[in-house]
Amino acid sequence: MILPLSSYRLRLPLSLSIAAVVTAFSMAAALGLQTLTNLREDQGRNALTLGYAMAGVQIQALRNDDVWLAYSLLRGPEGGGDAVWILLDQTGRIFASNRPRRFRLDQHIESALPWLPQAQPQVIDETPGRVSAVDRDEVRRLLRLPLYSDGSQVGELIALLSDAPYLPRFREILLGGVLVTGAILAILLPIGWLWGRRMVGPLVQLAECMGRVGREDPRRMQCPLPDGDSEIGRLGQQFAAMLSALAQKESLERQMIQAERLAAVGRVAAGVAHEVNNPLGGMLMAIDTYRRAHPVDAQTERLMDLLERALRQIQASVSALLVEARADLRTLTRDDLEDVKTLAQPNILKAQVSLTWENACGSAIHIPAAPVRQLLLNLVLNAVQAAQGGGHVEVRIRTQDNQLMMRIENSGRAIPPEQLMHLFEPYPASRPHTQGLGLWVCYQIVSQLGGTIRAETQGEITRFLVALPLAQESPA
Amino acid sequence: MSSPCSRRTFVSSLLATGFGLAGGRSDPVRASSQPLRFGLTPVVLDDRIGFLAAWADWIERQLGRPVVFVQRSRYREILDLLLQGRLDLAWICGYPFVRNLSRLDLIAVPRFRGRPLYQSYFIVGADSEIQRLHDLEGRLFAWADPDSNSGYLYPRFRLTSDGRDPDRFFRRTFFTWGHPRSVEAVAEGLADGAAVDSYVWETLARGHPELTAQTRVLERSPDFGFPPIVAGPALSEPDRQAIRRVLLSQVQEAGGRALLNELNLDSFSIETPDLYDDIARMAGRITGGEGA
Repeated sequence: MILPLSSYRLRLPLSLSIAAVVTAFSMAAALGLQTLTNLREDQGRNALTLGYAMAGVQIQALRNDDVWLAYSLLRGPEGGGDAVWILLDQTGRIFASNRPRRFRLDQHIESALPWLPQAQPQVIDETPGRVSAVDRDEVRRLLRLPLYSDGSQVGELIALLSDAPYLPRFREILLGGVLVTGAILAILLPIGWLWGRRMVGPLVQLAECMGRVGREDPRRMQCPLPDGDSEIGRLGQQFAAMLSALAQKESLERQMIQAERLAAVGRVAAGVAHEVNNPLGGMLMAIDTYRRAHPVDAQTERLMDLLERALRQIQASVSALLVEARADLRTLTRDDLEDVKTLAQPNILKAQVSLTWENACGSAIHIPAAPVRQLLLNLVLNAVQAAQGGGHVEVRIRTQDNQLMMRIENSGRAIPPEQLMHLFEPYPASRPHTQGLGLWVCYQIVSQLGGTIRAETQGEITRFLVALPLAQESPA
Repeated sequence: MSSPCSRRTFVSSLLATGFGLAGGRSDPVRASSQPLRFGLTPVVLDDRIGFLAAWADWIERQLGRPVVFVQRSRYREILDLLLQGRLDLAWICGYPFVRNLSRLDLIAVPRFRGRPLYQSYFIVGADSEIQRLHDLEGRLFAWADPDSNSGYLYPRFRLTSDGRDPDRFFRRTFFTWGHPRSVEAVAEGLADGAAVDSYVWETLARGHPELTAQTRVLERSPDFGFPPIVAGPALSEPDRQAIRRVLLSQVQEAGGRALLNELNLDSFSIETPDLYDDIARMAGRITGGEGA
């Protein structure tokens, strides 16, 4: 892919490389300049030493008019070396030089070097040799050494010092710098590239993840986020915290919506319940009256009990729809649970479903009987309906850790995840054909009992897990 | 003449020590005898210490007597030592020889290119615009040595013959104290022109062609007698005969021939002093020759 120049994946290794190059060149330049300074100092010192060493013989050469002696001395073993040497006689004419073609014998120095400052009238001083800086004709420094014999000046020795001899060394230093830089770059570039990727990778992840916020449900967003103690790691952690806060907010909102719906449904239910409760009360009273007025045989007695429990279930169901509805606080018994099995039996047969029923509860369970009966019946009927046509339903009930645990699972079509989310809503849009209030009422009951209910699917199996807290031993 | 007179820097290293090579050489036959003191003026051989040692060795073996080469930077110094008897013999220029004819005896004359003769060359820089001798007027000129024929006497005579004053013709002159140095001075641009010994120039051209290639021969003089080997007053007649015999026979012996070849000479021959009459005639007409 083509990365824009603004990408840190490019900028990081590039910055590293530029830093390396700048460093290497700065080092080379600093070394070079330092070397140059040292070399210049050495050159000046050497020239001065040489000038002093030659002075005596040059004075003699001047006195004896021995041009060759002066010349051969200036010429030295290597043609004079780096510096240009000029010997002037008393009248300022060139007597000898190691550049004889440039500085002709007998030529006046003023015509040879017009820029040369006029020699000041010298106070008689036996050691006025000095090196001063000039910058003309590639001459960088100038050594002027007046030659004295017996108190009077007989000539002057001039050395023109240039940087030319150092250029090759400079080139070497520069070449060295370039080579070192190249070597460093060869190492740094791949490292920088990898480092850049490592550093920038988490940022890219984060950026991608952030881009998804608002488009996806934060509760279900799967983001690989950077971790660790680095700044980016902290950023990732903060972002993860933000995501979870978002998810929390989302579910809170959903719960609020659910509560509002509950309230609306509750109001409807309250009206209905009021209408239902009156005749229901009459029917229960009629059964009661009948029992008191007539002796009943055993079969009639069982029928009466069944009728009464069914009527009370209706009463309790209606109560369950009402937030303020108060069911009877009769304590749940094992029979209540077994009743559910009996009550569901017709549906089970009709739906051709096999049932596994496992009730591991003791006789008395400290929890209101009516809502639990309603809850269990609803869930079992719901499961039977889902497993319709040769499916299987399994119910397991037990108490554990002071909780009543119920597990109802069925085979059949799996519930898609998006439906699973709206499962407990009343009259869910995704399931218009089902009885709308079933799971909604279950949810309500569980909520009122302070418990939890959740649905999960596992392959073909749909499972409802209910946990209801039991009241403390104090009998209601 | 000049050439051997003021030979050049080669020898300078030798000269610096003052003595040559033969010092420690002991003669197997007559170890106790006094060494033969042989004066040399700076010759082409200056950086040829090995050669001089070999030559001294060779003479020693022939002569049965140690030989010491003595070198000085000025021809005049060798001549003075010779005349004072502090040297037995010396290889000098024809010009001082003719001036001291009465006190010096001709031992042998080297033969160069088949003849005991040489010339004086006027040389200028190879790329110089100077085409004729008179173009050198107002220029810088290098003399070899005031006791040199080819490097001083002849060029002055040549200018005088043209009606020029050799002391005014050039803008500035100086002495290099050696023909090879004169060649260097012209090659390196120190002087615009110089007069040098043809033998030295040709020998340099053989051994250091890169040096002579920077010069160009402007004019050649007539032939003069080659710088001779002469005996001073200190050398006895038998010794003169002995050394003469040795030198004349050098060409007949293989080792001696190789040494002559190194010297770029054919042989040594015996000549009469009238070989140097031309130089004597010039010297008679030029008074300035005594200068320096």
